[in-house]
Amino acid sequence: MDNKNNNIILSIQDVEKSFPGVKALDQVSIEIERGEVHGLVGENGAGKSTLMKILSGVLKKDAGTIIFDGAVVHHTSPVESQRMGMSIIYQELNLVHTMSVGENVFLGRFKEMGGMRGTHTKAKTLLDSIGANLDTYQLVDELSVSEKQMVEIAKALSFESKLIIMDEPSSSLTQDEMDKLIAVIKQLKEKGITIIYISHKLDEIFELCNRVTIMRDGHVIDTQLTTDITRNEMIAKMVGRTIENEFPERPKCDGEVLLEVKSLNTHKLKNVSFELRKGEILGFVGLVGAGRTEIVRAIFGADQVKGHEILIDGKVVKIKNPKDAMNAGLALVTEDRKQQGLVLSFTVEKNVSMASLDRLSKFGILNKSKEKDMAQRQVKGLNVKTPTILTKVSSLSGGNQQKVVLGGWLETGPRVLILDEPTRGIDVGAKYEIYLLMKEIAESGGAIILISSELPEVLNMSNRVLTVYEGRITGEFDPLKTTPDHIMRNALGMGEEEQNNDQAN
Amino acid sequence: MTRQIRLGSVFNTLLKEYTIVIGIMVLVLITSIVEPRFMTSGNMINIMRQFGPLILVALGMTFVILAGFIDLSVTGQLFLVAVIVMKLIDPIGQIPAMLVGVAFGGLFGYFNSKVIIFSGALTQAEALFITYGLSTAYIGIGQMISNGKTMNMSIDLTSSYSMFQYVGLGFIGPFSISFVIFLVAIVILYFFQSKTYMGRSVMLTGGNKTAARIAGIPIYRSITIVYMICGIMTAIGAIVFMSRATTVTSAMSIGLETDVILAVVLGGTYLGGGRGSVLRTIIGALIVILISNCMNLLGITIFWQDITRGAILIIAIWLDAQKNN
Repeated sequence: MDNKNNNIILSIQDVEKSFPGVKALDQVSIEIERGEVHGLVGENGAGKSTLMKILSGVLKKDAGTIIFDGAVVHHTSPVESQRMGMSIIYQELNLVHTMSVGENVFLGRFKEMGGMRGTHTKAKTLLDSIGANLDTYQLVDELSVSEKQMVEIAKALSFESKLIIMDEPSSSLTQDEMDKLIAVIKQLKEKGITIIYISHKLDEIFELCNRVTIMRDGHVIDTQLTTDITRNEMIAKMVGRTIENEFPERPKCDGEVLLEVKSLNTHKLKNVSFELRKGEILGFVGLVGAGRTEIVRAIFGADQVKGHEILIDGKVVKIKNPKDAMNAGLALVTEDRKQQGLVLSFTVEKNVSMASLDRLSKFGILNKSKEKDMAQRQVKGLNVKTPTILTKVSSLSGGNQQKVVLGGWLETGPRVLILDEPTRGIDVGAKYEIYLLMKEIAESGGAIILISSELPEVLNMSNRVLTVYEGRITGEFDPLKTTPDHIMRNALGMGEEEQNNDQAN
Repeated sequence: MTRQIRLGSVFNTLLKEYTIVIGIMVLVLITSIVEPRFMTSGNMINIMRQFGPLILVALGMTFVILAGFIDLSVTGQLFLVAVIVMKLIDPIGQIPAMLVGVAFGGLFGYFNSKVIIFSGALTQAEALFITYGLSTAYIGIGQMISNGKTMNMSIDLTSSYSMFQYVGLGFIGPFSISFVIFLVAIVILYFFQSKTYMGRSVMLTGGNKTAARIAGIPIYRSITIVYMICGIMTAIGAIVFMSRATTVTSAMSIGLETDVILAVVLGGTYLGGGRGSVLRTIIGALIVILISNCMNLLGITIFWQDITRGAILIIAIWLDAQKNN
């Protein structure tokens, strides 16, 4: 009965979009089948976000046709596209934090729902239908990122959306939360809802999607069944060249102890102690909120902590603030580069020089030519794609922004580089460059602490892995000799028994 | 076609960026045509004299705003410093009194910053309320010292106040003394902002406190320094102001904070911090003076002048927010 046309819910035909100096979309054509989960992958700047913004009505297309559910779309506003049955869940979720879960689901439609009681009842029904067990009276502010996503999904369902677009929904989820999201997406699929799933994480694409479209430089490179394409083929198409491996070979490490942290205690951390050796990459695995970030912030003096001891080369060092930490040879690349790593309205040059500013000054006067040299050195060395060093860092892509942060810290000549989610929201090419850089630092006698929610990343890059659960270190593993499952069990607090056995052996 | 669009958008940007400046130029143009007194040398000297105290305080305020904060206490500080200087002329002499006054300005700024840092929240809104409260307290202290009376140099002083007369009325070449003080200040402050470690630290603190702190930038020292600069500049402004008026009264600084913030924002320094320059504030202060001068010449009542100033401040902040969105 279904003819071919009826089977296509969204047809994008020859869509074009230009910005000053850039052709963001060039003859883009994609057909999305009704009821499928369609993956959309590509490096940052490939055109995915632009395309989504055109679909949602935030941007206007220059040329081409979009047919949604049999009707040509001319709309120009996000509200209209939502009414037609197309919802987008953005990476930065769009909720009112000071209102309850229920109110957020039916924001601005309380009357139609029959007042507050109706709003909460109906919100509960929607949330239950996707298996999200949330109290609709709870404030959104108190929810975790994954719970907020559930609220967004319920909101999308409340508009009876036929198509839900998810823009990198997993970028700040832990493995556990990710599993829940996957379950919800599968449920949505069963209900016949079509999903466009944008992600950098290829595992998810293979697990969730029926088909995948690969974009690069504003072009659609290919659309394939996920069963017909291999991981490496997909990466090759995304980056336009072949990458042999996603991860470089891990460096060997047999150096002496460089950093020692003893009995770190805060209201969140319990007796955290560990060692870091020269040439070592030490990975921290744990859920978001388990205390990984708190550990490194405490070591770096970013948060006020007392009573612990930090030794470098066997000597006790006092670290009361980030400046002390820098003097001791530490560097911290924070998890949130936009909020904590960069001054977005400043130039690349001023961001690179930020952490080295005191060394660039003599008697309090800045040496501008040295500053310029420094910025140019890092832009060249790290292959930062920026028109000039005087470009505002806010206009760079995520990967290039991260390189600016890294470049700034490299200039301080750190002995211990702490990386908190260094590759979040970064494309495959830039990721690999950052991995190579980590390897280089480790091989030249430095040491790295790596925090990442991407398990493959930690396991493939680290010489040694510590699991963190509820503020405690629950295990220490050699990733070559342990299965990922076993490590995850410890990160989820379920491995104490096994760990005891390990130690007994 | 494309070319036309591009020209149009350039024009649009210019219009957006300089809406207020253009509007005020029109006002000045109309005034100079309608009112022949505008272009007289007497009026020009008048403008230069009014420019003095305002620009001095505004330059200090620029740094506080660049660091992402605000200082409403300039109103109270200006009065209190003037009272202190006035009280000290007889016992310790004119020049020592001036120097002690400037030192007090720095001290008040230091105190302001410590209260703000101690409060811990470190937001512009917090600073707004704290300095507002401090301003009230400074006025109270000043009233206490002066017994709530207007102090008059020619009546209340037994010793000479010739130095003050010189600062208030004197000239070096074609420039009034207050203008010369301004020139010296702008050279020092511009150098500080653009060439020094602490100047950059201030800009970084205003741009993103969290990131700056993680990168080892002394954000607390930056906050203290900007409030001290603001205090010192306010104290110098107080001395110039009292020299011209030869009286000291709590009414002398009423509404000062509006004019000063107006000067900074009209100049184009971003109220949220991190972007702007002391050089821009010169234009802003000039505009503020021109507005009141033109309105005076056109015979607009003081009430309507206040309403206009308030409206311009709101529009300026609104446009500023639009630009940065």
